[in-house]
Amino acid sequence: MSSEHTACVEIGGVPIALSTTSYHFFALLLRRYENFLSASVPEFALDFEIVDARPATDEDTCVRRDGEEWLIERGDFSARWNAREGTGLVRQNANPYSLDAVLRILHSLILAGRGGFLLHAASAICEGQAYLFSGISGAGKTTMTRLAPSDVTLLTDEISYVRPEVRDEVRDEVRHDAARASAAYRAFGTPFAGELAKPGENTSAPIGALFFLEKGPQNRIEPMPASEAVRRLMRNILFFAEDPALVEKLFASACELVASLPIRRLTFYPDPRVWEEVRRFGRDHPRGRSLHDGVKQEKLAHA
Amino acid sequence: MPDIYIARSSAIAARILAGEMMIMNSADSTFFTLNEVATAIWQAADGRTPLSQIVREHICGQYDVEAGQAQADAEQFVADLSHHGILLVSDRPFAPQASA
Amino acid sequence: MSLMIEAGQKAFDLGVPIAVHLDVTYRCNERCVHCYLDHDDHGEMTTAEIKSVLDQLADAGVFFLTLSGGEVFMRRDFFEILEHARRLLFVVKIKTNGVMIGAAEAERLRALNVDTIQISLYSHRPEVHDAITKLPHSFERTVKAIRFLRDHGLRVTIANVLMTANLADQSGAQKLAADLGVHYTLDPTITPMMDGDLSVLALRIPGEELEDVFRNPALVPNQEEFCAPPKPPSDADLEGYSCSAGHSFCYISPYGDVFPCVQFPLPTGNVRRQNFLDIWNGSPQMREVRSIQARDLTTCSSCSHVSTCTRCPGLAYMEGNMRGPSTADCEKSFYRTGVPTANMLQQGLSRPRTTAPLVQIRLAAASA
Repeated sequence: MSSEHTACVEIGGVPIALSTTSYHFFALLLRRYENFLSASVPEFALDFEIVDARPATDEDTCVRRDGEEWLIERGDFSARWNAREGTGLVRQNANPYSLDAVLRILHSLILAGRGGFLLHAASAICEGQAYLFSGISGAGKTTMTRLAPSDVTLLTDEISYVRPEVRDEVRDEVRHDAARASAAYRAFGTPFAGELAKPGENTSAPIGALFFLEKGPQNRIEPMPASEAVRRLMRNILFFAEDPALVEKLFASACELVASLPIRRLTFYPDPRVWEEVRRFGRDHPRGRSLHDGVKQEKLAHA
Repeated sequence: MPDIYIARSSAIAARILAGEMMIMNSADSTFFTLNEVATAIWQAADGRTPLSQIVREHICGQYDVEAGQAQADAEQFVADLSHHGILLVSDRPFAPQASA
Repeated sequence: MSLMIEAGQKAFDLGVPIAVHLDVTYRCNERCVHCYLDHDDHGEMTTAEIKSVLDQLADAGVFFLTLSGGEVFMRRDFFEILEHARRLLFVVKIKTNGVMIGAAEAERLRALNVDTIQISLYSHRPEVHDAITKLPHSFERTVKAIRFLRDHGLRVTIANVLMTANLADQSGAQKLAADLGVHYTLDPTITPMMDGDLSVLALRIPGEELEDVFRNPALVPNQEEFCAPPKPPSDADLEGYSCSAGHSFCYISPYGDVFPCVQFPLPTGNVRRQNFLDIWNGSPQMREVRSIQARDLTTCSSCSHVSTCTRCPGLAYMEGNMRGPSTADCEKSFYRTGVPTANMLQQGLSRPRTTAPLVQIRLAAASA
C-alpha cells in the first residue's frame, strides 16, 4: 500500500486539501499549482483516485444532486462531493486538464453559496484595482493580457475568480446598510490558464470595473444598460449544476455585482494604447479607492 | 449630529509612500497603510477642522461619492483609527500642541 | 503578501529610501575585540547638522530610522537627537550596549515611543561577555539595562555576535534572553575595519562549524527549506537585484558620509556638502549600485545559487568587485546546501578554502 500525499491548494482564499496515493499525480499537481500551495488550514478536502479513463474533453459535463451529495461527471472523470461535510472523492486519470476542470467546478459550487462566481474573463491588476475583460472565445481576452504594460499584474487570461469582499462581522454590524448597499468585489488570480498557458499571479485586488470586450476600429469605453450587463454576465459565468435554487442565487449575485460595479463595453483595436484607456477610466472612477478599503492593518511579529 | 474634531496621535510613526500613508503603532506592533482617500483625511486631521468640512473638501470634492455615504464612511474610518489609538477624537477643537 | 513587505517592495521599486541607518558617533565605552571601528572622534556632525539631516531624511520618505554607533549614549545630545527624530515621526530603532541606560533613561525612551532597542550581549557568562567588550562589569550593567527597558514596556532585542570566543555560549545566551523575557537574534556580522584591516576576521567561525550552525534547529527552524538545493534560476531571477542597499536603504556615518549600506564602504557623497536627496538620486555611485542585475554579475550570473544566495554586494566590493562574488556568502551557500558554487568551481575547489577572506552570517530564518 502506498502512502497518501496531501497538498493544500488555495485559490480565491479557499484552501482545499488535495490528496492522492499516486506519487506521479502528486508531482503533477504540485507543479501545476506551484504558486497556489498554501499553509492555511484546509476548509475542504478532495481525494483523488487515479484510474484509466478517456482523454479530457470539454463536452458533456454533468453536475447534479444525488441526495446529500453532488455528482460531477465528464468523460474523463467522475466525482462525488458532499457539500455539508466539505469532502469529496474524484476518479480521474493523471492529466492536468481533468484536474483543472474538477477544481473549477468545485470552486464554482463553493462560490455560488458565497455570492461569487467564476467568469469567462481575463483579469489583471492595474494601479491597485482589478479589471475584468469578459467575452466569448475570440473576443480578445488573451489579446488584452498580451498587450498589458509591465506594471500590470496578470490574474488570469481565461477564468476570473470573483467574490464579494469579506469583511469581519463586527464591522458589518456597525456599518449596516450603507456598507452593504455598495458591497465591494474582489478578483483573485487563478492557475487556470487559457492560450497564454501561463498561470495568473497568486494575488488579489478590489475590482474597479468589468468590461465586455468587442473588437472595433478604435478604442472606446461606453456605458451599458444594466439589463444587458446582467444578461451578458450570466452568459459568461461558469456554472454547470442543474439546480434551480443555485441558478437563482447566481442570478441574484450577478444583479448585485452589476448594481455595485461599473460595467462597460470596451471596443478595442488590438494595440497597447487600449490600456491607456483602461488606466484613464480607473483614474476617473476611483471607486475601489473610497474609504471602504481605506485602512489595511497588520500585526507584526517581532523582528 | 454635533461635529467632531480629529487629531493625529504623536505617539505613532507615519510616512507617506507613493500617495499612501504608512503608520506604525509601536506600542502594539501594528502597521497600517491608508489608501489615498484615508490619507487625505489623515493629513487634514489638524485638530481644528471639523470632520464634516474635511469630508466636504477632501472626499466629496474629489471623488465620485454621495455626501451622506462619504460622511458615514469617514465616521467609521475615524472610529476605527481612534480605536487603535492612532487618531484622537473630540467633540471640540484640540489645543494647538495636541495636533503637533 | 504582508503589508510591510508590500511597502518595502514598493519603496524598492520606486527607489524611495524607506530605511536609513545613521551612526551618530563612533565613540564607544567598550572595546569589543571584533569591532571594526576607529573610536576616536574625527569631527562628528554637530547637533544642528544631525537635525538637518533628519529633516532631509523625513522629506525623502525615510520611515525606518536606525540610530547606532559606536555607543549612541556617548553623545550628550543623544536625547535631543532622538526627540527630533520622533517629532519627525520616524520608526526609531536604537542599537546600544545599554551600559549607560538606567531607570531614568528607560523611562525617557518609553515616553518617546522608540520602536525597538537592540542590545549587544555576547554570552550568559559575565567573564565571557566582559572579555569580549574589554569593559569590566559591562555584563552586569547591560543586563540591568535590559531589565529597566523591559519593565518600562519597551521592546528589547538581544543581538548576539557569534565568534569563536563565544560560540559555545550561544544556547546559554538564548536562554538568558528567554529568562529576561526579551527577543533574541544572532547578529553574527564580523566585517573588516573601515580602513580595510582584515585582522579581526581571524575571529570568524570556521566554515565547517557553520554547518553545525545551519543544522541547529534552535537557530534554523525550517531546516528542509533552508538547506534545500537551489532551483535553476529563471529569467526573472536574472533580472533581479540584490539586497536593498542603494535601492531603498543607505547608511550615513557620524561624519556625514553616505554609503549604500553599513558594510558597503563605497563613498557616494556627504550630507555636510550636499543635500541628501541629491546624493540619493544623483550620485553616480548610487546609480551604479542600483543598476546591477543578477545577469550582470561576473561569476554569480552562471551560478546555480544565484536566486537564493545571500550574496552581499558590499562584501563583494570589499573583495575588489561589486559585481563579483562575495566569498563568504559562497561559503554559506555551500555549507547550507552541499552544492558547490560557480565561484568555487571556477577556482577548481570542491570545498571552500578554509580561509575565506570574510565571514558574515545572516540567519534571517532564525529570528523569524
